[in-house]
Amino acid sequence: MTIGNVLSRLITGTSWHFAAEISRLAVIVASFMGISYAARKGRHISMSALFDISPKPVKKVLSIINPFITALVLFTVGYFAVLYTYGIYETGRTTAALEFPFWLMVVAIPVGCFIGGIQFLRNMWTNIVHKEVYIAEEKIDYDEQ
Amino acid sequence: MVWTLLGIMVILLLMGFPMMIPLIAGPLIIILFYMDNLDPTIMVQQMVEGISSYVLIAVPLFIFAADIMTSGRTSRKLLDFVGSFVGHLRGGYAITTAAACTLFGSISGSTQATVVAIGKPMRERLLKVGYKDSSAIALIINSSDVALLIPPSIGMIIYALVSDASVGDLFIAGIGPGVLIFIFFASYAYIHAKVYDIPLAPKVPWKERGDIFLKALLPLGFPVIIIGGIYTGQFTPTEAAGISVLYAFVLEVLIFRSIKLKEIPNIALSSGIVTSAVFVLVAGGQAFSWVISFARIPQMLTDAVLGNDPSALYILFIVALFFFIGCMFVDPIVVILILTPIFAPVATMAGVDPIHLGVVIVFQAALGSATPPFGVDIFTASAVFNKSYLDVIRGTPPYIVMLLIVSVLVIVFEDISLFLLRLF
Amino acid sequence: GNDETGDNENGNGEAEHNWRFTVEETQGQVQYVYAQEFAELVEEKSDGAINIDVFEFGALGSEVDQVEQLQQGIVEFAIISPGFTGTLVPEGNIFALQFLFDDDQELNQQVLNESEAINTHLAQKYEEQSIMPLAFWTEGAMQWTGSSAIQSPADFAGFQMRTQESPLILRSYEAYGANPTAMSWSELYTGLQQGAVDGQENPLFFIEDAGFHEVQDHLTISNHNMYVTMTTVNTDFYNDLDEETQSIIDEAIEEMRDRSFEIQEEQNGEALELIENATDTPTDVYELSEDEREEFRELASEARDYFRENGGDDAEMILDMLMEEIEEAQGN
Ligand code: NA
Ligand code: NA
Repeated sequence: MTIGNVLSRLITGTSWHFAAEISRLAVIVASFMGISYAARKGRHISMSALFDISPKPVKKVLSIINPFITALVLFTVGYFAVLYTYGIYETGRTTAALEFPFWLMVVAIPVGCFIGGIQFLRNMWTNIVHKEVYIAEEKIDYDEQ
Repeated sequence: MVWTLLGIMVILLLMGFPMMIPLIAGPLIIILFYMDNLDPTIMVQQMVEGISSYVLIAVPLFIFAADIMTSGRTSRKLLDFVGSFVGHLRGGYAITTAAACTLFGSISGSTQATVVAIGKPMRERLLKVGYKDSSAIALIINSSDVALLIPPSIGMIIYALVSDASVGDLFIAGIGPGVLIFIFFASYAYIHAKVYDIPLAPKVPWKERGDIFLKALLPLGFPVIIIGGIYTGQFTPTEAAGISVLYAFVLEVLIFRSIKLKEIPNIALSSGIVTSAVFVLVAGGQAFSWVISFARIPQMLTDAVLGNDPSALYILFIVALFFFIGCMFVDPIVVILILTPIFAPVATMAGVDPIHLGVVIVFQAALGSATPPFGVDIFTASAVFNKSYLDVIRGTPPYIVMLLIVSVLVIVFEDISLFLLRLF
Repeated sequence: GNDETGDNENGNGEAEHNWRFTVEETQGQVQYVYAQEFAELVEEKSDGAINIDVFEFGALGSEVDQVEQLQQGIVEFAIISPGFTGTLVPEGNIFALQFLFDDDQELNQQVLNESEAINTHLAQKYEEQSIMPLAFWTEGAMQWTGSSAIQSPADFAGFQMRTQESPLILRSYEAYGANPTAMSWSELYTGLQQGAVDGQENPLFFIEDAGFHEVQDHLTISNHNMYVTMTTVNTDFYNDLDEETQSIIDEAIEEMRDRSFEIQEEQNGEALELIENATDTPTDVYELSEDEREEFRELASEARDYFRENGGDDAEMILDMLMEEIEEAQGN
């Protein structure tokens, strides 16, 4: 879209005022819908220094507690995100240039948080059922790296 | 309340939670349990705000362009070219990295975009020449941060708007410290290469250099178009990011045919994950900084710390400390916006030159972004290079020491920033 | 911030009520100075029982965030520019219409103080959204800067004009023949310097503060519009206050009417002087003649028609009533 903005400005001398809005929408959707996918692929950034040097039983406990609390936090934020989105829906606020409903812009946040929370619960379940320490699909334990 | 907030965040961090959790849970708990009658949806509003900046859009676009180029041949040809000229020098590649990051970062205005766009292809080359991964990554992170000092710096623009300083003067004043840091880094690169005996590549004869140059001609158009486009005003840094995606696509898919069209969605997905992992942190950081501002914590701290009638030098050191610590946690732009109005009036009254203050502030913001335990650029590097947090920060201490030395020099000798201004 | 130390000496924050006031500008700028003086007046009148903390721009998020926080009652007071509520109260876009008001700013402020169209009908629209406007006031006339001189609509041909993202403003500049472009202010200085855009519009104090004159060769005193803003309070919060407290607020608002005009006049005057005296980045200052303004005014009427049709349910009524009120004031 940004590319299109430049091209159209170069060619016709006018610009797409909604480019910024579309880009913003894309960023919000990608950021929050990505929570779950990054959780599955183990791509969330964490400071794993202490975790890495912990003995295996500690690791095992953390590998169950951490995804559980993470899911809890995501569900809480997701709940408030529902309220926020509904509040926006009620005021009927629209975006400045395209004038489409602003709630469509932010609805990805509650959805993303809930799907992300479910993914972390799945990670927790895998750790309860299996013996080895499971972090994510592509990361069984940092030791393996 | 301050200690509860920091305590929760540090404990969650040390337990190995995804970094987004301390950043989100800290402010969430404060809002729910410490602030009466406060609508908790403010949390969500601020998370949206955190990732709404138009400037940030450059980040995923540069990530995508860099992913395309590193999957294909562009970056290899470019670095072949650079290598053929400097590969046989001591620390030549490291110096090139520092220069390229500084140059590119000054253009993109985003230290994170620089880590991605230059860091990704350059790291592979550094590894091939024999650098350890930790020193390569440390070099990239820290060189990218220097970019915040070189014009046109978004950090400077925001400081200028918040304070009363002139943007043009700030741009000029940032050059001195920027060059000083580059000299430090280049000297270190030379010594490091000598001590670790990084093997020298054989000198490439001129005829071969010519061949490599011709092969690199199209990829070389990339920096020419981006830099030229921005400086001649054809596009803004954000638009330049968009153009770079287009250029990378045309080059790799249509001309070199090194990437098949059906591979593009996979590359985009990978760029998307990296973007998501970084932006969720930016979102959480904004919620955190909102709670801090709302509770008037910065004002409480300055009253407690500055006391009565402080000296100019004392203020500068305190300011440096606050910005350094602030930027270890939150995006530098946000920190500049929030802390400058608190410190600038006190500092100016004590006789600190506002331009000099701006340089010190932006410098510390840059330094804080690359300093553990937090630091946005560390997160970015961790995501982009798919390395653990510890691997990313392992090599940074020498650079942090150098930057601390330079920052003391800049604070004490205001001429480092102001001498160019006095020449004119 | 030097008066904060003064506050601490008498009473040490022993106030009964602590209220919050957000503004869209940073310390020292017009809105911030206004809010600080308002806070001092209220504190004085309440014998220290009411303390108001002023939050500068950026501390609590973007301008639109601040609007939402006022609506939710997270902050009690806010200075809100109608430009940031265009999607919430479309009638508020009336202030984006160019060459609608007079070029005598004092007369304009008088209209803002007394207009029924604004203070009754437009205010009603805001109150429905939990935003109660207590005063409408000007931060000064808007002026143009450009890399080339702007003296007639012909000078706008092929001119890349940076504006806010408001359909009305965009239409106005399209009517002059310019290419309006939206750009974030954080990119604007560089955009002007490198020529990505050719010009922009703002009140003088903002132009000087942001240093736009450093990278522009021409300043046109166009007075094409004025920057109107509102002092607002959360509707429920205000209605739930006892009468005595309400009257403290009302009195402070009345006293600030003349002060707000003085604050902006002083800052804009100083800014013009600073721009003219910045000889190492010379700026050519040109003031439009009445005939030249007339040329633009004719072209600007198209945006007015657009507003009547698309500016919300009561747009036409409010605009027509306001135009009558302006004419009446000009007649005196
Ligand atoms: Na940081
Ligand atoms: Na100028």
